[in-house]
Amino acid sequence: MSRFHITWDKGVGLFLVFTILLGTFSSEYFATTSNLTFIIRDVAEIAIIALAMAYLIIAGEIDLSVASMLSLSSATIGFLYRAEVPFEVAMVGGVLVGLLAGLFNGFLVTVLGLPSLAVTIATLALYRGMCWILLGNKPVNQLPSEWVNLGYSQIPGTFLPWTIIPVVVLAGLAWFVLHGTRFGRWVFAIGVNSQAAEFSGIPVRRVKLALFGFTGIMSGIAGVIYTLRFASSSPDGAVGYELGVIAAVLFGGVSIAGGIGTIWGVISAVLSLGVIRSALQLIDFSANALLVVSGSLLLISVIAPQVTDYVRNLRSTVSTTKQIQKNERVNHE
Amino acid sequence: MRSLKNLVRARELPVFAAFLIVMGGTSLAVPHFFSGKVAIDLFLGVAVIAILAVGQTFVIVMRHIDLSVGSTVGFSAFLIGDAYSKGMGLGTGMFLAIGLGLLVGAMNGFLVAYLKLPSLVVTLASLYIVRGIFNEFATGQTIIESEVPPAINWLGLNRFFGIPYLFLIGFALVIIAGFVMKRSRAGRDLYAIGSNPQAAELAGIPVARRVFFAFVATGGITGLAGAVLLGRFNSANPNSGLGLELLVVAACVVGGVTIAGGAGTVYGAFIGAILLQGITLSIGALGIPQFWQQAVNGSLIIGAIALDRYLSTRVKTTTIMGSKNE
Amino acid sequence: MNKQFKRSITAVAGAFLAFTLVGCASTTEAEVTESAAAGTTETTEALKIAIMPKAINIGYFAAWDEGAQKACEELGAECDYIGPNEATGPAQVQFINQVIQKGYDILVISAADQNAIVPSLEEARAAGITIVTSDADVAAEAAGSRLVSILPSAADRIGTAEVDWIAESVGETGTIAILSAAATAANQNVWIDAMGPYLEETYPNMSWAGGSLDSAVFYGDDDPTKSTEQFNAILNQYPDIAGIIAPTTVGVLAAAAEKKAKGAAVKVTGLGLPSEMAPYIEDGTVEKVGLWNPIDLGYVAVYAGVLGFNGDFDGSVGSTFEAGDTTYTVTDGGIAFLGDPFTFTPDNIATFKEIY
Repeated sequence: MSRFHITWDKGVGLFLVFTILLGTFSSEYFATTSNLTFIIRDVAEIAIIALAMAYLIIAGEIDLSVASMLSLSSATIGFLYRAEVPFEVAMVGGVLVGLLAGLFNGFLVTVLGLPSLAVTIATLALYRGMCWILLGNKPVNQLPSEWVNLGYSQIPGTFLPWTIIPVVVLAGLAWFVLHGTRFGRWVFAIGVNSQAAEFSGIPVRRVKLALFGFTGIMSGIAGVIYTLRFASSSPDGAVGYELGVIAAVLFGGVSIAGGIGTIWGVISAVLSLGVIRSALQLIDFSANALLVVSGSLLLISVIAPQVTDYVRNLRSTVSTTKQIQKNERVNHE
Repeated sequence: MRSLKNLVRARELPVFAAFLIVMGGTSLAVPHFFSGKVAIDLFLGVAVIAILAVGQTFVIVMRHIDLSVGSTVGFSAFLIGDAYSKGMGLGTGMFLAIGLGLLVGAMNGFLVAYLKLPSLVVTLASLYIVRGIFNEFATGQTIIESEVPPAINWLGLNRFFGIPYLFLIGFALVIIAGFVMKRSRAGRDLYAIGSNPQAAELAGIPVARRVFFAFVATGGITGLAGAVLLGRFNSANPNSGLGLELLVVAACVVGGVTIAGGAGTVYGAFIGAILLQGITLSIGALGIPQFWQQAVNGSLIIGAIALDRYLSTRVKTTTIMGSKNE
Repeated sequence: MNKQFKRSITAVAGAFLAFTLVGCASTTEAEVTESAAAGTTETTEALKIAIMPKAINIGYFAAWDEGAQKACEELGAECDYIGPNEATGPAQVQFINQVIQKGYDILVISAADQNAIVPSLEEARAAGITIVTSDADVAAEAAGSRLVSILPSAADRIGTAEVDWIAESVGETGTIAILSAAATAANQNVWIDAMGPYLEETYPNMSWAGGSLDSAVFYGDDDPTKSTEQFNAILNQYPDIAGIIAPTTVGVLAAAAEKKAKGAAVKVTGLGLPSEMAPYIEDGTVEKVGLWNPIDLGYVAVYAGVLGFNGDFDGSVGSTFEAGDTTYTVTDGGIAFLGDPFTFTPDNIATFKEIY
């Protein structure tokens, strides 16, 4: 009898399928192409940042400033566009600013040795403050419509929004690098025991710096998508998104202690949280009730592995005891 | 002489020095900044965060964190006003507020101590859950001044020899908590657990019990802070306390209570909170353009954290092992 | 590695399959929902109206909803009060999507972000939903995305009225500062822009703190803590300040509470909810505040929406419609104004604080 080892990241994949079915049967409005478009569009930014955050948390760090980096990227795009820079160049500028911000975080953590949790709380304020410096209190609207349309319309002939393309491509890349390359194995090794990793020759500090930079780029790309989707650039965008990203990553089976996690788990988590929110909204759950549900799901995601571990231990104890008893009986015959 | 040397070497001194530099520097630039009025602004502004930082120290010292404090403090503040507006007395209101804090603390503590779940996840979850329940309970309502129990209102508006009572409550709490942390068995155990959890377990310390009660204590303090929050603003609404948790953690870290655990004191956290408030006041008084203020604030906090980090490798940390001269 | 690779591919394929099946199987449903919302001109079937505030937990919007629900009852429509619990554009967009999904006929909305929700409103319009903004509008350039906007008073009337109130309190001399809400709040900026020149022209002995309008504005973000801090910052930067205008209910409440706590001499006025400001008006901390009635804003918006949906009103400049006993005219930019704000003083506060 093969043991199907249920770890939470496979659990959350099943959970995704379960929530889709649940949504389909609970509300007539759920299983429509338009609703699926809404869901995918809604989670695109969080999904992209979550990919990078997964790497960071697996390596034992964290970055609370991602929402501010997203907003800074968006503010840069608006600032440049308002200064008559061509929109395409402005978008690249936004991503670059994200990269720089991420690298600065990485510098503070790897070079100055500051604790990532605390210092990214401070850079959260710093980057947000820079959004205000760039735009003052005048948001930028009237962005080029060909680009804005990409933010919320569908790929012609399908029900999928354009924004699914960057999500799929980046998720595929992230998955390949994390689970299929040496770099990915380094990330896990650092998370399990960074000292041992250092001794075995892994350039821990450079890897972590790269991961922070990666988080910055992802936040930058998410910032571009955000700007297109909301057809505007404003200094107060994406406030509070960091908690949603972290909750999704944790819900996806990435352990906060480091060393454990999969990209598939994270993507499933992001999608299922979006699906659940949509399904519950359609059956008239209030925004407040949704908060309680999100928190409870997060708790379940960490309790469930404990429970399955406990059950597995119990079963293995039981079967070992039975084995011993059988042996005794055989011996006595 | 020995105790003076200890004082000078204390981890908390640099934070206090930074505070003096910030306030002094601003006073030089803006002469009327050096006034009793600003001092009162400082005391009142820091009251809630300082109390929360004291509570947060208990858990950070053990390498844990409690992100649910913002939601809980807001809910507590609202409950007191709500109870009073429905005819119940101050006693009932305080009972509800502190009771709520203890309950949330107990839930967090149980999940972290006995089920061994990571505290970041557990308290992030309770941040959402408590905020959701609070919002639903309080939806559309505001507690206004006439619904604040007179005793709390009075405490909020009055001073003892010029120092606001709200601040004195925090100050008293710090003294008590500092005493408990340093002198009591349980307090010293918290540091041991933070320094090396496995060693602490092997040394016979009841780790789970300590962790559990630390979270309960943080919860109770948060409930108390709700009364102070209500007294400070004489109002409460579903957004009360939103986002305070990050500020509290920043105050602790800046004050020497490192995230890595095992070090720092409640005095440090208290001074850290005062430093952050001093920075905010200074930025306001110096006339730094509105749109630059948040960026400046963030940079200064980064500076404070870096300073703390630099000093922790130089000055001896206040751990259970730190009092080498005793 | 190979096994995990295979398993992951299977899982990805499985989920994609699930999504596609669900998507294909339900193409028709989306069309059905859209056509139902598109063209009913009779009112025999109860209309479904979504009432969407910036955020559902704020007291001001509870009053706004009260007015909306009253209109719904009179018109025999089904009204649902839905919205996010944080007053941001992206959060509102999620709920606008829900409104489109569930095939509502009319959307009455207070825009949390004048730009961010515009693409979604366009989508809603394309799905046949009639949109009325009330209390807070979208950006002027996006006026086409909604039928009409119901706003309290002409922007300059609100701004200039507040200048008049503070002038009265300070005896028409002294420096004045403004404690605003979010720096990006469109309505705030419009009112403040109106205040600037009006004060300079009408009250020659009064001036803006710091010499110009820009240096006199402080942002409290509709947050009690920040508003209180900014109130103190004003007093610290400008110790001789004579008056503070707070055109935000959160800001004026925080300013009044802090003024009382510190025993400060500065005069305070602004836009305040009578129920919240009553203690400070009664004890003299604040002499006068004003506000329109949010109940009316909600009430009139629903009427505009229903009449628009039925084709009796097209929102063009100069057109009129009736709600309750009053006729409203649409002015430039597709906006209909309710009228001048009420002022609350010790004489009438007792009555008004019971209403909203």
